[in-house]
Amino acid sequence: MKKHHNNPDSCTACTVCIANCPVTAATRKFRGPKMVGPTLERMRLSQDDIEPSLEYCTNCKNCDMSCPSGVPISTLNMLARAKHFKNRKRSLRDWILSHGEKMAKLSAATPGMANFGIKMSRGILKKIGISDKAPLPAYASKSFSKLFKNLKQTSYPDKVVFYPGCFINYNDPQVGMDFVAVMQANKLEVIVEEGFVCCGSPLVVNGFLDEAEENAKQNVQILKKWTDKGYPIITCCTSCGLMLKQEYQELFHIEGVEEYAKHLYDAGEFLLDLHDQGRLNTNFGTLNEKYMYHAPCHLRAQGMGLPGVELLALIPGLDVQDADAGCCGISGNYGFKDDKYDISMEIGSGLFKTIKDSGRDTVFSECGTCRLQIGHGANVKTLHPLTLVRKSYEAYQK
Amino acid sequence: MREYDIVVIGGGLAGLMAAAAATKRGKKVTLLSLGSGTLTIGGGIVDVMGYLEGGIPAATPSAGLLQVGAGHPYKKIGRPAIEESIRFFKEICEEEGYSYIGNLDKTQWIPTAAGTLKPTCLVPRTMDTTELKKADKITVLGFDALKDFYPSLIAKNFKKIPAFAQKEYEVVMVDPKLSEGRDVTALDVARWLDTEEGLASCIEKMRNVIPSGSVVIIPPVLGTRPNYLVKEKLEQALRCTFVETASVPPSITGLRLRTLLVRYLKKNGVRIVEQAIVAKSIVEENNCLAVITEGVDRERTYYAKSFILANGGFYGGGLLAEPGKVIEPIFNLPVEAPTDHELWANYSLFSSEAQPFAKLGLDVDEKMRPLDASGKVLLNNVFVAGRNLRGYDFSFEKSGNGVAIASGYQAAMSV
Repeated sequence: MKKHHNNPDSCTACTVCIANCPVTAATRKFRGPKMVGPTLERMRLSQDDIEPSLEYCTNCKNCDMSCPSGVPISTLNMLARAKHFKNRKRSLRDWILSHGEKMAKLSAATPGMANFGIKMSRGILKKIGISDKAPLPAYASKSFSKLFKNLKQTSYPDKVVFYPGCFINYNDPQVGMDFVAVMQANKLEVIVEEGFVCCGSPLVVNGFLDEAEENAKQNVQILKKWTDKGYPIITCCTSCGLMLKQEYQELFHIEGVEEYAKHLYDAGEFLLDLHDQGRLNTNFGTLNEKYMYHAPCHLRAQGMGLPGVELLALIPGLDVQDADAGCCGISGNYGFKDDKYDISMEIGSGLFKTIKDSGRDTVFSECGTCRLQIGHGANVKTLHPLTLVRKSYEAYQK
Repeated sequence: MREYDIVVIGGGLAGLMAAAAATKRGKKVTLLSLGSGTLTIGGGIVDVMGYLEGGIPAATPSAGLLQVGAGHPYKKIGRPAIEESIRFFKEICEEEGYSYIGNLDKTQWIPTAAGTLKPTCLVPRTMDTTELKKADKITVLGFDALKDFYPSLIAKNFKKIPAFAQKEYEVVMVDPKLSEGRDVTALDVARWLDTEEGLASCIEKMRNVIPSGSVVIIPPVLGTRPNYLVKEKLEQALRCTFVETASVPPSITGLRLRTLLVRYLKKNGVRIVEQAIVAKSIVEENNCLAVITEGVDRERTYYAKSFILANGGFYGGGLLAEPGKVIEPIFNLPVEAPTDHELWANYSLFSSEAQPFAKLGLDVDEKMRPLDASGKVLLNNVFVAGRNLRGYDFSFEKSGNGVAIASGYQAAMSV
């Protein structure tokens, strides 16, 4: 059973998705995945009418994950949203939140100024519908691509292609640098292709499907070029990964996705595969530290378990506790929206409480926006699992 | 290469129980699941054997077990293992703070949202009917705007049940003020009662309509979590007894049980892989070496010493119906079925007769290993559990969760 058959008639109206939908649990304004997804899809096939509560779906994919009949409910919602906005005027707020890459490029010359500007203009942003309480990410003083260009890597015959994604590139470049260090420690050289653009995930959730498809076409071409040469492609961001391998197949009809998707890896899974082949550098230094872990929904949706947790289990001394408390609520840019902020925080409240109750002050998670939300909601430090892998390698060197 | 002791395929009740029993035995377990099983649809009440052939109620689950036919999974599993499995199930629930009541020697007749009684074996304490049977007067409490629960229908139909005909009934309503936005389900009301404010507000509203000492039938709304906090707080505050009914999906009792079992597995180190579409296997001679998942990206191979196949029947995808044949897709195990597929179904709408396809499935030995038509074991390290087993009709017998628990347990103990 392939997952990219968008057939609403596979839905038997069993209601399991309703029980598993974090938005349904947080607000009564959302009519629930079954109703808004497959049930109304049958109506939408014959008329343009739209279910008004469609805007509440976060595309977190918990409905898809719970469905016993393989209906890609969230994707039906995203396609419906795109159809709704096809001939309608868009809000400035949605445009800004969807075009993080363009915004970042505009601010790239003076990220310090841009950050100052964001801080000063939170009042203005609030006026256009961006919450003044939401954890908007700051721009890094130097983007990952700049840092990477100045980095001297040791050359190795085995190479991997890294897809950094917007968040790592503009907001959290250290994760990318940690990734490169970990690859180097495994005698792998990292290639970063300049032509990569935003995966399109933030565009899709706000209904800019055509633009997302343009991005997809460009990325597909590059990804396929590298995988045709036999190079694996690696992401550290689970939402980028899900978009590139799965949502491109569900949303668009672009040739080549199925072929390169075979070679697209989450960084944690890639390292575990190396371990299976006996090729992983296991010179892990002891880290006598305690962490909480949060599994991003977009990782769970990928059908590979929790590779980050399995990987860190190889590090001696490390004490990891899986929070296992569901969605964090941010869902990309959903939680930045003024009218969605409270819902987003309500969704994450169980997770925040679990983290606070644990008494642990640092949480690791693969997803950048999950980390933002967790830092904001539970008032803890956050990091990517590869940062810990790098730290462990360095501890061994000392 | 990572190798596990046991890979369990399927995250429904049979798979969860198999994984629980295996981890209890100290095995290293990976559970591959697709979707969240049917517990949240079918419910968390454990039917073992309610009705015999011809729709005659079994005197007790035990008596029912004695009367099942030779091909029935219970016959393969045998009474001692069934008893053990029930004991083990109750032990887990107890340990997790959400104990079940009941045993094989007694049928519990529990109220349904339609105002009928349904035979079952194990229920959560929220469905304990002891006080209901004793009471001279029963209050049926509904919630405004709640779909699929009509207190007056329940009162009316209970009057037709001999053991309940002499009792007095009062119908009362509480308004949870949940009408904004969407239809109200039991899940919405249960979530309202999960919150402190909701519970406090509900107690206030109930105080106005039910006097202390009442025995109250309510929909399954006593919280979504596997514990008795909501029940205890309500009963303490109002000095009443609440009895939940069996109801339509989404099932709150099933949701609680699923939450409990998944939590138990994770706590005990079971690795759970969600969205795992198991498509094929690697078999050498009569041994399975690995199963392979087919993601949208690529295949992944899971190696183990033993495998438990608990991926459901026709509904769950463990069995596929094709013209003239039934296929078990992962191991291509034989499923005996009439070659004329017209004979699989009973075509009359609203018929009270069974559907022949309900009994189609995999034949197994007493260890739950798959057999061919001549009774030869086909795979030595593959064990079958749950809805893909042949020879039982859970819907007519009322035996679904019982077979899931017993076969899941037996599979894990046979490894």
